[in-house]
Amino acid sequence: MKKINLIFFAAVFIALVSLRGALAQGTASTPGALFYQANIYYQEGKYDAAIHSYEKLLGQGLESGNLYYNLGNSYFKKGELGLAVLNYERAGILIPNDSDLRSNYDYAMQRLNLEPKFIGNYFEKAAHSLFQALTVDFLAILLSVIYIVLIISLILNLFISPIRRFFGWIICILASLFIIFAFGLERKISYINKTAIVISKEADVKFEPLENATTYFKLSEGSKVKVVEKAQNWYKIRRFDNKFGWVIKDALKKIK
Amino acid sequence: MDKLKNTVIIGKRLRGFILSLALVFFVLSYALPCFAKELNFEAIVNSNKVSLGSSLQLSLNFGNVQNMPAPELPAIDGFQSRYLGPSTMMSIVNGKVSGSITHNYVLLPTKTGIFKLGPFKFEHNGDQYTSNQLSVEVLQGQVQSPAQTSSPSEPGINDLNERVFITMQAKKNKAYLNEDIPLTVKLYVNRLGIRDIQYPEFDHEGFSAGAFDKPSQYQETRNGVNFDVIEFNTSIFGLRPGEFKLGPAHLKCSLIVQKQARRRPPSAFDNSFDTGIFDDFFGRYETYPLDLKSDDLTFNILPLPEENKPLNFSGALGNFDLEVTVSPLEVKLGDPVSLKMAVSGEGNFSTVSVPRLKSENGFKVYEPQIKQEAGKKLFEQIIMPMSMDIKEIPGISFDFFDIQTGQYKTITRGPFPITILKPEKEEETKVVENKQVAPAAAVNEEKLGRDIIYIKDNLGRLKKGNDYLYKNKIFLLFQGIPFLFYLIIFMIYAKKKRLETDVKYARGLLAPRKARIGIRQAKKYLDKTETGKFYDTLFTTIQEYLGDKFHLSSKGITISVIDEHLHKEGVPEEVLTRLRDIFRECDMVRYASSQLTRENMRDSLRKLEEVIDYFQRRKA
Repeated sequence: MKKINLIFFAAVFIALVSLRGALAQGTASTPGALFYQANIYYQEGKYDAAIHSYEKLLGQGLESGNLYYNLGNSYFKKGELGLAVLNYERAGILIPNDSDLRSNYDYAMQRLNLEPKFIGNYFEKAAHSLFQALTVDFLAILLSVIYIVLIISLILNLFISPIRRFFGWIICILASLFIIFAFGLERKISYINKTAIVISKEADVKFEPLENATTYFKLSEGSKVKVVEKAQNWYKIRRFDNKFGWVIKDALKKIK
Repeated sequence: MDKLKNTVIIGKRLRGFILSLALVFFVLSYALPCFAKELNFEAIVNSNKVSLGSSLQLSLNFGNVQNMPAPELPAIDGFQSRYLGPSTMMSIVNGKVSGSITHNYVLLPTKTGIFKLGPFKFEHNGDQYTSNQLSVEVLQGQVQSPAQTSSPSEPGINDLNERVFITMQAKKNKAYLNEDIPLTVKLYVNRLGIRDIQYPEFDHEGFSAGAFDKPSQYQETRNGVNFDVIEFNTSIFGLRPGEFKLGPAHLKCSLIVQKQARRRPPSAFDNSFDTGIFDDFFGRYETYPLDLKSDDLTFNILPLPEENKPLNFSGALGNFDLEVTVSPLEVKLGDPVSLKMAVSGEGNFSTVSVPRLKSENGFKVYEPQIKQEAGKKLFEQIIMPMSMDIKEIPGISFDFFDIQTGQYKTITRGPFPITILKPEKEEETKVVENKQVAPAAAVNEEKLGRDIIYIKDNLGRLKKGNDYLYKNKIFLLFQGIPFLFYLIIFMIYAKKKRLETDVKYARGLLAPRKARIGIRQAKKYLDKTETGKFYDTLFTTIQEYLGDKFHLSSKGITISVIDEHLHKEGVPEEVLTRLRDIFRECDMVRYASSQLTRENMRDSLRKLEEVIDYFQRRKA
């Protein structure tokens, strides 16, 4: 009996110790705790510590528009405007309509003496401006809704004869909307996956992916480029004026 | 006998073949050596006498060779050389084949005298070739260029470099930082034809150099020799204090030289006719590129003194004057006043910045418009009185460093008295609207600071990185459901439509259902042993089933129809026999009032079920 009691108390003790450890660990690494800790660092002007905490949260595989926004602000205050622009771009994917974000992004660009320029042809530019305010998920839901309405229209057309008079128009409109939104979604995904921001103060764009190749043009910090090809430590990029060249990977960071 | 004949023929042929071989060997051994090692390397000039300003052609001829790279000529005393190109020649004389290659060079004499050309040494594929030596006399003579045909005789200049050259001169070699230094590059030409003259270029590390002005042309006597001079002017200024070298200046141009005529017997017409026109027409003149180089210059750039340096000194150097005009002198509050300021004089105008108002209090000051003219820099600045208390426009001053006295100077103009009138309300509105005429809109414009907006205090919608709906498998699978739903609905709709329109299909589909009802009814009669009704039901059931199944009139189904129709359908005889039995039994009861036992009835029902079952399976 004594032996059983001893085992029971030992088990309870171990369980309590483990629970305490787990709780302690939980407070230190929960996303909310880390975020607030980073905000405190920011308020105290400890921008390096704030960046470290925000990055730690991102390292857990989590992201939010506000998180990227705060990280962008921290880099801005630290004077790394290229990285600030990069994080504002990342935040823009998740919270495109945030007025604070837009204001800070514009100011960072102004400080870098850069103008936001779009890389692509007329249709791509039109799609970008049209769907700029929508997130990828919202576009996916919108596309899904149009698709379901299209299916419902097809079903109603079988059973409700008055609909048949306008069926052609309804299908045309819905199909057109579907195509436009699908194009918008595709462009948005392409933008996210191929766009990169120059994070070094200046980057040489060369004719070939070689250290000693001739420099074609230079990119300044915060400039936006489109990555079209990869080769070892080099990215082949396209600038807003359709000039192509090779940049060393370390000079850029892709949005995704 | 035949065998012997054949042996003789073969022998003759063999002898012919050997003789042919010997002939080919002989021809080759005779002809080949001319392509082999017996190389001739000879230097030839088209004339042994040449006048200064004319050119000479040197040909290096390699005999008995078909391929030979152009030798690089060493520096030849008294000449400049330029490679023209190769020419090849092949000839067959008396069956002897010979080939040669000649590399041609233009030689341009640079001074008079007798010069030795060669011997030229050249190594190719490990073989050493040495040419003969030539002697060429360069004479003092006149160049018959179109521009120089009637030049008077001059004292002798024996060197080309003394007949065409450039000089670079600066007005001073000691200057202050940013002080304008006039620089002149002159091209001197004495009785030579020069064309394709390019602007001079020079190294100017530590200096900022402006573009050259349009060159001027005149004649100048230098050491008793008349020269045509082309003068290029620009100005430079030092960017860092210290001692710096400028230049040398380079100028590229083309010299028109007379081709040295090939030796030919003197003609009676030589002295009688001027053949210049014909020579020129047939290309007797040719151009020779020249890269003329001047001496370099040394400058001592002095820093500006720190003593007595005005607070607002912006780097202007020279000797300047300032003129200011203000208009209008009577304005309504918020109306623009134009300040026209002209800084004139001598000096480096690129260092001249806008003269400043002593005080900007009570004024809104806009960026000036700047215009640069020769010896003058104009500034037009718009200012806007913002207070009714203003009585004058404060003085305007301009600081510069006077390079002549080596002291800083400040010129002040004004103050300018001004009358401010009270604006009417409507006029104020007009000013606001007419923003482009005068940027007076922002009378009460507030100067706002700018910084980034503060961080967010909540995390917002947290999600996994890269977790987008378009990548989510459940979301993608969900997209298939509406389509499947539509497919099902469509199939039901299509079936319903067919049932309504396709009678044969509808009858075929309904046949088993009706048969099942008939069988159920027949079973009831069997239980009650109502033979008549049982067989009536049995008959109707089979009739209707077959009628529906084969899209025939049910009432017309008889044994003969069955035989005729179902036989064609390939129904086995066994099934047909059962059908006949059912029909016969039904007829017996219905028309002959035969009393069949309950066992017979059950048997008939079983047969009916088997037949219907067969047809249903057959369909499947």
